[in-house]
Amino acid sequence: MNGLSGRAAIVGIGATDFSKESGRSELQLSCEATLAALADAGLQPADVDGLVTFAMDNSSEIAVARELGIGELRFFSRISYGGGAACATVQQAAMAVATGVADVVVAYRGFNERSGQRYGQVQNWAASQVNTNGLDNAWTYPHGLSTPAATVAMQARRYMEAYGATSEDFGRVAVADRRHAASNPAAFFHGRPITLADHQASRLIADPLRLLDCCQESDGAVALVIVSAERAADLPNPPAYVAAAAQGSGVDQFVMTSYYRDDIGIGEIGVVGRELWRQSGLGPSEIPTAILYDHFTPYVLMQLEELGFCGRGEAKEFIADGAIELGGRLPINTHGGQLGEAYIHGMNGIAEAVRQVRGNAVNQVPDAHHVLVTAGTGVPTSGLILARG
Amino acid sequence: MDDSTLDHDALMQRVDTMMSRGETAPRLARDPVNLPQINTWLEAIGDPNPVYRETTTATRLHGGPVAPPAMAQVWTMFGLDPHRPAHDPLHGTMQLLDEAGFTSVLGTNCDQTYARHLHPGERVSITTRLESVVGPKRTGVGEGYFVTTRSTWRVGDEEVATMMFRVLKFKPAPRVDRTRITRPQRNADTDFFWEGTAAGELRIQSCGSCDALRHPPGPMCPRCHASNRGYVVAEGTGVLHSFTVHHAPQLPGRKLPVTIGLVDLPEGVRMVGELMAAPDHQWRIGDPVAVAFECIDDDLTLPVWELDVPRPGLAPAEQDADDDTETLPAWELPVTTTLVVAGALATRDFQDVHHDRDLAIARGSKDIFMNILTTTGLVHRYVGEWVGDPAARVTSCALRLGAPAYPGDTMTFTGTVVDRDHAQVVVDVVGSVPVGDHVTARVTVALAGEEVA
Repeated sequence: MNGLSGRAAIVGIGATDFSKESGRSELQLSCEATLAALADAGLQPADVDGLVTFAMDNSSEIAVARELGIGELRFFSRISYGGGAACATVQQAAMAVATGVADVVVAYRGFNERSGQRYGQVQNWAASQVNTNGLDNAWTYPHGLSTPAATVAMQARRYMEAYGATSEDFGRVAVADRRHAASNPAAFFHGRPITLADHQASRLIADPLRLLDCCQESDGAVALVIVSAERAADLPNPPAYVAAAAQGSGVDQFVMTSYYRDDIGIGEIGVVGRELWRQSGLGPSEIPTAILYDHFTPYVLMQLEELGFCGRGEAKEFIADGAIELGGRLPINTHGGQLGEAYIHGMNGIAEAVRQVRGNAVNQVPDAHHVLVTAGTGVPTSGLILARG
Repeated sequence: MDDSTLDHDALMQRVDTMMSRGETAPRLARDPVNLPQINTWLEAIGDPNPVYRETTTATRLHGGPVAPPAMAQVWTMFGLDPHRPAHDPLHGTMQLLDEAGFTSVLGTNCDQTYARHLHPGERVSITTRLESVVGPKRTGVGEGYFVTTRSTWRVGDEEVATMMFRVLKFKPAPRVDRTRITRPQRNADTDFFWEGTAAGELRIQSCGSCDALRHPPGPMCPRCHASNRGYVVAEGTGVLHSFTVHHAPQLPGRKLPVTIGLVDLPEGVRMVGELMAAPDHQWRIGDPVAVAFECIDDDLTLPVWELDVPRPGLAPAEQDADDDTETLPAWELPVTTTLVVAGALATRDFQDVHHDRDLAIARGSKDIFMNILTTTGLVHRYVGEWVGDPAARVTSCALRLGAPAYPGDTMTFTGTVVDRDHAQVVVDVVGSVPVGDHVTARVTVALAGEEVA
């Protein structure tokens, strides 16, 4: 156990509808989700004194505070590196409330990522920014490697060669996610499961990645309310305690293109995993269900290995018999994941982990006493273990 | 086919009607086989074979000059006369596909056989039938239909030559402006790399203190923290560590799909770069690659990577010691405007893209380009000169056409003997221009004795 473990909890979750065209501004989406999360927590906007979001979010903390009449803020913070920020927003909030820097912190993320700026397209701004990230991208973008799918495909191809994994192995992740989404009314792909044959028939996006290996592009917002363990005891919902909260950056780390280290896999999530186990005192065998960030299916296999759920190169066997589906050894992404529910940069996965801990998820895993959640990998990333009281 | 009223089914129905007509009635050549046209052709192609001229060799072997086999089609070319017979199947199919919105045309295959030499005074006739129309297919130049016709030339009732001719009739894909490629962000730490590519050098940063090599570069050596640094010029080879073929979404300045590789350099660093190969090339991890430089404009030159193995049929002469492959000496031919125009006119091919630069550019070409009959003549000349015996005779020539040959290009012919016995020799020929193979051909030559008069 360490200084942060068990000292903070997520006590409220809120979300907008998940769609391809929200019809409203990103700021409005974030405000709606924040209000919903506060209502779920039994708190008022006036109780909030801290806000955390992603560096990529287009709605500033002060804008959200203004819209909701929050008033003064004592704590505000933003985390960089795209989807890698998700669990780190909760870590920031947990550190703030555990130390008394703030009392009630909301972590939010809202965007029109389908009807507005689509992350699946080439982001020329990323190559033209005048900073070290822009300089880093000079080694990929001008050469034609400039979409998230293509950068992952480069790693996936190497992974397949090294361990004998196949496109079908990646497809099993999509099948599991879509099975879970099919029974989740909030999911965009509610009622629309897929088969492995559907996956294999989907068009190539960045060979070896097919369309159904790639997460959706979504409009929507999610907010989470974090308070100290003491405060959580007085609130209506069962607290989802933060048993561990970690960030991780690997050796010779780049954003989506860490191609210059010996192993071009996702070592950054290994850093997060080791820290999660250290803080929580738990091990992989003690985790009944997990939310593994699924922007691209190959990364789910690699995460299972980096986190120690199986050995290196063994994820294809680990998932082969339905282990990651409901009823399996380690059901993952029970909400449908970002392939099935929505792509809200991982924040919807944290909300699902809270529901699992509370015991009221639509695809509830029996006795989900601990849930591991990861943020976007391929970039500096983060993770959480949430626990029942 | 959004911009036309003729959909695939309607198109194929009319194609079926045309195919059901079978062979056209014989059409006589405008002129008999004649010396002036032969001489014009010889001047354009430069074929030195004495049997095509008034020489003692010609007289001894054939009783006088004969026409080069590659001229078979020349005799029945339409020339400048815009009139076409009502049921010409190739012309009719081209019109049909124009109507369906497939407005551009590209020759892809031309397989000819020659039963004997033609003599001045003989007058050939041609019959043609539409063999197949296959499509729509997605190709490197755009979506289109492959149209195949078969023609036969006769003198009286005697069959003297045949041809299978295939063209791709296509909708040109939108032109891609490579200058729209995403520009690299640069600063004082990375300028040396881009200055290197512009100078044709692939530079790797080296530490001025501990000599460690590093890519991507940066201002401080992670090993010894020295900030004095230089560079070494990479050998320019590598091995593919991984790669991806990007199919979607659209990329600025590039035509999809794009293959991008991650290359392990022998110097111990890795680099990302575009992999250049034929569209259907299957890359594999571990493939050896070599760097090339693509100048986008004055501000940007990109290192790109090509497969670093000799292509089959292009084995350089020095490798002969290792195997029994018999190769022809390479022949480098400067492609000039004069060659292209003289060849077009000598073969009586008056398509504007072969002689009128303004019209060629207006049609979307970068310049006039060589016509197929000139290419055929040059392939025959290359093989004929190598055989070196005026009594030998080309009996068939199967051409597959690739990159266009423009004025200013150097065309390099190479050849490999694929079969040889006492009666004939079969040679595979590649004629390449800087952007790729212009022509690959299999030429069969009957050796001396067969036809001595």
